[in-house]
Amino acid sequence: MRSFISILIIAFFCLLAEYYFSWWSIAIVCFLVTFLFKLKPGKAFWAGFWGVAILWLTISLFKDIPNHHILSQRMAGLFHLPGYSLFILVTVLIGGLIGGLGGWSGSAVRKLF
Amino acid sequence: MRVLRALVFILITVAIIYLLNNPIGTLPAIGKLLDPVNGCWTSAEPFHKNFSSSFKSSQLISGVTVWFDNRMVAHIHANNDHDLYWTQGYIHAYFRLWQMDIQTRAAAGRISEMLGEKTLKYDRTQRRKGMVFAAENSLKAMEHDPRTKGMVDAYTEGVNDYIATLCYHNYPLEYKLMGFAPERWTNLKTALLLKYMADDLTGKTDDVALSILRETLPSKTLDSLFPEHFPGTDPVIPEGTTYEPAILKIPQPPASADSLFPKISNVIAFKNDQSDTRQTGIGSNNWALSGARTKAGAAILCNDPHLGLNLPSLWYEMQMQAPGINVYGVSLPGAPGIIIGFNDSMSWGLTNNYRDVKDFYLLKTNNNNTYLFDGKQLPFTKRVERIAIKDKDTFSEAVNYTIHGPVSYDEHFYDDKGIKAPVAMCWMAHRGTNELLAIYLLNRARTYIEFTDAIQHFECPAQNMIYADKAGNIALWGQGQFINKWKDQGKYVMDGTTSKTLWGSDIPMNENPHCINPLQGYLASANQTVTDTTYPYWYNGNFIELRAWRINCLLDSLHAATVQDMFHIQNDVYSVLASNILPVMLEYITSENENKEKDMLKELKKWNYDLAADSKAASYFQVWWYYMNEEIWHDVGKSGLYPLNERTMQLMVCDSVFAGNCKAAINHSLEECADSLSKIKNKEWYNVKNTTVKHLAKLMPFSYTDLQIGGWNNVINAATSDHGPSWRMVVQMSKDIEAYGVYPGGQSGNPGSRYYDDFINNWVKGEYYRLLFLPNVPKQSNSKIKYTWSIEP
Repeated sequence: MRSFISILIIAFFCLLAEYYFSWWSIAIVCFLVTFLFKLKPGKAFWAGFWGVAILWLTISLFKDIPNHHILSQRMAGLFHLPGYSLFILVTVLIGGLIGGLGGWSGSAVRKLF
Repeated sequence: MRVLRALVFILITVAIIYLLNNPIGTLPAIGKLLDPVNGCWTSAEPFHKNFSSSFKSSQLISGVTVWFDNRMVAHIHANNDHDLYWTQGYIHAYFRLWQMDIQTRAAAGRISEMLGEKTLKYDRTQRRKGMVFAAENSLKAMEHDPRTKGMVDAYTEGVNDYIATLCYHNYPLEYKLMGFAPERWTNLKTALLLKYMADDLTGKTDDVALSILRETLPSKTLDSLFPEHFPGTDPVIPEGTTYEPAILKIPQPPASADSLFPKISNVIAFKNDQSDTRQTGIGSNNWALSGARTKAGAAILCNDPHLGLNLPSLWYEMQMQAPGINVYGVSLPGAPGIIIGFNDSMSWGLTNNYRDVKDFYLLKTNNNNTYLFDGKQLPFTKRVERIAIKDKDTFSEAVNYTIHGPVSYDEHFYDDKGIKAPVAMCWMAHRGTNELLAIYLLNRARTYIEFTDAIQHFECPAQNMIYADKAGNIALWGQGQFINKWKDQGKYVMDGTTSKTLWGSDIPMNENPHCINPLQGYLASANQTVTDTTYPYWYNGNFIELRAWRINCLLDSLHAATVQDMFHIQNDVYSVLASNILPVMLEYITSENENKEKDMLKELKKWNYDLAADSKAASYFQVWWYYMNEEIWHDVGKSGLYPLNERTMQLMVCDSVFAGNCKAAINHSLEECADSLSKIKNKEWYNVKNTTVKHLAKLMPFSYTDLQIGGWNNVINAATSDHGPSWRMVVQMSKDIEAYGVYPGGQSGNPGSRYYDDFINNWVKGEYYRLLFLPNVPKQSNSKIKYTWSIEP
């Protein structure tokens, strides 16, 4: 339950943070949330990962579907990916990775106290 | 232990963020780019985006309305000139900012700022050509005239007001990919863009190659291979047009040829890839029919300038209305006004006029500070060029300027083999000319007289300017600023140590060759020789003839012409070259080859000489011709210059000795052709030539390749691999103007927009859009209008 709530909180605050700060502020949000929620390292990683991944997936889809995949198809080409869905997947994985690492670090620091 | 673990986690996180937040090699900063909130995803424009909006700008004097039609062509309605050009600047930036930015940086030799050391040579070439020097000179002229100053100031304000609305979040995609940021627009950037066009159109000359050939070939051979006045030309100004006697005295060569044209082969070792050598493929067609030749009884004007095929397109289509102006056509993002188009009263079009306006002078120097001129040592004027390089120290060099112009090449630059004597360049584009004033006046011209007044300000790049009006007049001018030269002046590299070789006086503009309402009822230009031999002034240039022959032939037989006939002619792919030369080539095939290449020869024998997209015979001919031409002119071609295709054609058709001597080449090249085509599976012509509309940053997923279009640079539909008809326009000057057009691109520069490429298919198929020419009134009710901008002061 705590993990689930932290995922939602991460997604919300990441969205907020990204409107005011650089994209990597997502790592700091994940760090703070797992720190405050005292999550264990494994759970902290996945909370960060899914929090950001869900957020990035949602925003990508909100942009990609009305765009009829024009942009994602071309960007996929630049990255030598066979289709736009893989480009979305790469976006989500990169976001998730950064979120996960931020969360992991947050829980590791928490352990010091 | 725990501390260490926490530290390791944090370090890994920070390291990965750092890697994803910074470009690595040619890779962009991946994390920053993929971020869906601020990264590339912001360029994903909704397919059904509503572009309508109302906003305020403190820069405006009065309100402005912009109507966007169903193709996103902007129709601006303003109450004064200032607001008109402000809005044009704003719209250009809104749709095409990155393109405007990168093209002007390229013009100024500033690409290394973004791409690093690999483009330093390009940047140095731009600087040493005097591109910035030239733009600064023109800027002075533009800002000196109150009309163009007002125009360009307002335009710049408009661009900058749009840039002020941007932050990283909404930068055009390419900025995020290439990792740089928009910078403030300036009037100088507009001047740079215009010089970029001048360079594209007048920057290539054959002076060095011809000098080398002059040293190696007997003069009779040289004249035969590179005739000064092309035999059989159908000139731009029809044969028989009478010219007034020259006002200026025609100068005589001031000394013997050998003393005017120094030997250069031992001091200049250019490679064939030198940037000044002529490029084939840049050219254009335009023509006009008088009402007597058209079905509607109204004059028709057509134009298709052949330029580099790029995305975003070079052109941005728009209509501009204000008191005293209602003009429609294509504009250059980065410059105010309409370059090719029509207004309520008249229409005009441009093709390049290849009269030579760029010459080279060989200098004598003892040191890097002075050069010998008329027996005295004159000091160089030094212009320090600083080129910022990404991740490196700024490169700086002083370019020497002489009485002729900048020293473009010397032992420090250009070729590895070295250049043992400095070469200075004298180029019309260096002058402080104000072509923008010509555009300003052209856009407002109502009569032939106003048209001629306007084009007096168009000095460089020289253009064949075609005109048709509602009154039924048609006219054509070989327009530009030219020099009253003695015979052969500037044809070869000249001795730069004497005032004898300096350019003489300017030919008065009203003496430029022109023709109005000829008896034949039509006028046409396609980069061919400008006049017959009765024109009193001497000139030379890179003229080409094949397209002009075909156009004149088609127009001559055309009566009761319709706009559909014009579409057909603009998309014509009949090869005059093939129809003349292929029968000769086939005559000399050996019986051995006749057997071996049976299938290919069979196709060629029944071919109709159309370079059609799906024609295999077209591929056979073009590839065969390519190898044959290479082989016949192998030695001559080492100079970097080949005789024109049409000249080779004439020699082969008219001179049986010449043709007989080519027998070995004809047969050998046929084998080479078969060999090289055997490696290609799909032998249809479009696939072999591969017409590509390439993104300006050469990003292939943003480009279109293998377009199913026929043609080549020797036929009217001049679609080569990378150049082609960049804007096809047909305008019938009836009471209600009936205009059609299409260009290979789309109105938006954003690769994430449906309007990025939506005209390409029609362009490939040779189909046209009916252009929406709105009346000059503040309220419109046309059903084609989709979106509206209301901009209030």
